[in-house]
Amino acid sequence: MSNDTEPAQVSSVAAESHAGACDAEMQLLEGAVRSLPYHVVKELLSVGVCARCVLRLFGIEEHIYCHSSFSQSMLGSILEEETSFKSEVEFQFCSVCLGVLQFSYCDDGEETVVKKESAKDMALSIAELVKQEGHQIDGFSLEVSVPPLILENESSLLSHMKKKYESEPWFQERLLSKCHSVKDVLKFAITKPLETLLGVKASASSFRIRLTYTHKRASKKVQNSVERNQECKRRKTGTENALHNVNDESVIADKDCSGYSTIETNSVTGIFSNGVQDQETSEHFESPIEKVSEPCHLVYVCCRTHIYLCGRYLKYSRNVSQTRWIIDEERMGEASVEEIIGSNILPICQGDNYKFHAAGREDIDVRMLGSGRPFLLEIQNARQVPSELIVKEMESKINGLENKSVGVKNLKVVGSQGWALMHEGEAEKQKQYCALVWISRPLEDEDMQTISLLNDMKILQRTPIRVLHRRSPLEREKIIHWMKIERIAGSSQYFLLHLCTQAGTYIKEFVHGDLGRTQPSVGSILGCRAEILQLDVTDVKMDCFVTE
Amino acid sequence: MSDDMVDRTRKLEETTVSNSLHEEEEERPVREKAEYEEEELHKLLVPDVSQLPPTPPSAVETNFVSYFAPDFMKPGNDQYVYRHANGLCVVGLASTHLAFKDKGGITAVDFNVGKSDRSSMKVTGKRKRNAQHFESNTALCKVCTGDDSYVVRCCVKGSLLEVNDRLIKQPELLNSSADREGYIAIIMPKPADWLKVKTSLLSLEEFKILRELC
Repeated sequence: MSNDTEPAQVSSVAAESHAGACDAEMQLLEGAVRSLPYHVVKELLSVGVCARCVLRLFGIEEHIYCHSSFSQSMLGSILEEETSFKSEVEFQFCSVCLGVLQFSYCDDGEETVVKKESAKDMALSIAELVKQEGHQIDGFSLEVSVPPLILENESSLLSHMKKKYESEPWFQERLLSKCHSVKDVLKFAITKPLETLLGVKASASSFRIRLTYTHKRASKKVQNSVERNQECKRRKTGTENALHNVNDESVIADKDCSGYSTIETNSVTGIFSNGVQDQETSEHFESPIEKVSEPCHLVYVCCRTHIYLCGRYLKYSRNVSQTRWIIDEERMGEASVEEIIGSNILPICQGDNYKFHAAGREDIDVRMLGSGRPFLLEIQNARQVPSELIVKEMESKINGLENKSVGVKNLKVVGSQGWALMHEGEAEKQKQYCALVWISRPLEDEDMQTISLLNDMKILQRTPIRVLHRRSPLEREKIIHWMKIERIAGSSQYFLLHLCTQAGTYIKEFVHGDLGRTQPSVGSILGCRAEILQLDVTDVKMDCFVTE
Repeated sequence: MSDDMVDRTRKLEETTVSNSLHEEEEERPVREKAEYEEEELHKLLVPDVSQLPPTPPSAVETNFVSYFAPDFMKPGNDQYVYRHANGLCVVGLASTHLAFKDKGGITAVDFNVGKSDRSSMKVTGKRKRNAQHFESNTALCKVCTGDDSYVVRCCVKGSLLEVNDRLIKQPELLNSSADREGYIAIIMPKPADWLKVKTSLLSLEEFKILRELC
């Protein structure tokens, strides 16, 4: 029926999409447009408001925006049928959304103006980036941030409209309902095409696609309007424009915002609630908003939030430190647990970076045996989240390394609760050790008795001299839960001391006494000099990261 | 692929066996595995006795480098300075100190010397900013024997982190183990100050030769 008078753009859309769906969509669209008060739409179009902004200001429902291409001329031509309405065919950037909802922007690298024909085309470039980065995803979460200028434009336009049309009958029904934000509309528009192109659904996913719009023109009223509308951290940057504010939370790390301002808000609220503000804003401008000659600058990035792998590690070498240890550009020890595990897992996840966290630590010359020590490996921007099978392969790979200094157990992917699990009650957890001890006289059977009778013995340890340079001089009370001596065949003065202690106990100092600064010590208990030759951790008594 | 099938059929078999038998079967491999792991762990822990030295180096020998200041400020006033890799210095009386030659050995130690009682100061914090800065000739304490008393000095310019206040109640520690539990104090010198004083100190070897201890 109305097909004859449709402008060229719509027929190209018809060519792309399924005929039936297109018709239904068009009918919905036309219906929505025709429900609007024409004189208001006319005024909006004349001050340079784009078609989608017109619809969203009136609170038109979401699914309408899925219609891929919808321009000012389309809007005009629908209205033309009804009234004698001549619309300007010339394209201009929307004075409210600055081209965001017209899928127009200034490209980050080239600094050229890009005008996408439709939401689908826009989604196409984004999907290209995702494929380029090589991400393997099962969902995505879309995030958009727009410059504060857009919100100001919107609020001043809305208050102008309120002033002018408050008395009209449609006003109560229409404008009082919340108008949709630019962000929401953009998301509505490109989410479906993105889902189609990427083959996955939009959901609360660890894979984030972020569109950040900024505009050269700094807002002059950020202090007033924005402060009232949101609570976010902010810091001032000293630039040529004195009222330049940068929002900490939403700025992407690698973007230099010295010349731009950007803001992230949750909703456009309170525009009408504060009468004082309305007066200020509408007095400030003669026409409700100023027209713009250039669109926003757009940067879109995609990345995955951190993924975590947890497990327990074992350290068989006395020359491998837990974490990278470099003094004056020289590495201490031949390798580190952190690097061995991280460097073997990172490439498989195709991540950017890794961070290693463990529940406690042991000295470089102390082996970590038995059940192993719980650890968490954080992978940043993984392109691939490893499956259970791949994780098992990772574990075998590390355990099968030629240099058998590190082993891994119970490796698996875990959510952010891994943190809490690992640090839960860390200070209370007991640790079990085996020390190779020498005493200055032969070991007697009595000694074995004496030692094994001591249960939950309290000791006082002054900060060991070997760490006194970097720790506070304190006296710490620790508990030795139990001890057991195991004789060594062929030696009368060497023996193995098995002991279980409170977390944070310095074992070496407990054996040799640290010049009497740990009391009692093994030496003082046995009434002779005691030295420790080797120490091994045989059990870290924590419940986390064990096999189910 | 075929392994997968075998595993699956095995699982099926297990579920069809009666409960009690099933539990037993499940427990046995678990117990055996645990025992096996214990054994393996134990093998790693037991050392090779043939590799053990008859007398191992002491903790002091392993962790510190020993220096000596013979006749420091006064003849017979032999003191030691043990320096740790982290820069801290433990100072004390060398075995050749005159005080040990007196009959009965050392009977009392008093930290109240100079302008303050050294045993009363408390150093706090990682940076130890409230520690007192002393010169190498600043007095640390006075040790008394039956006949005489001797002043013990810092030997090293730096911040005083700790004095061995146990010596107040147990001065006999100096007689039994002046080189260990009978240490006098712990001092933290600045790197530049250490380099300066180091030139005036003797190594263990040099000291032994000097005092004919070899």
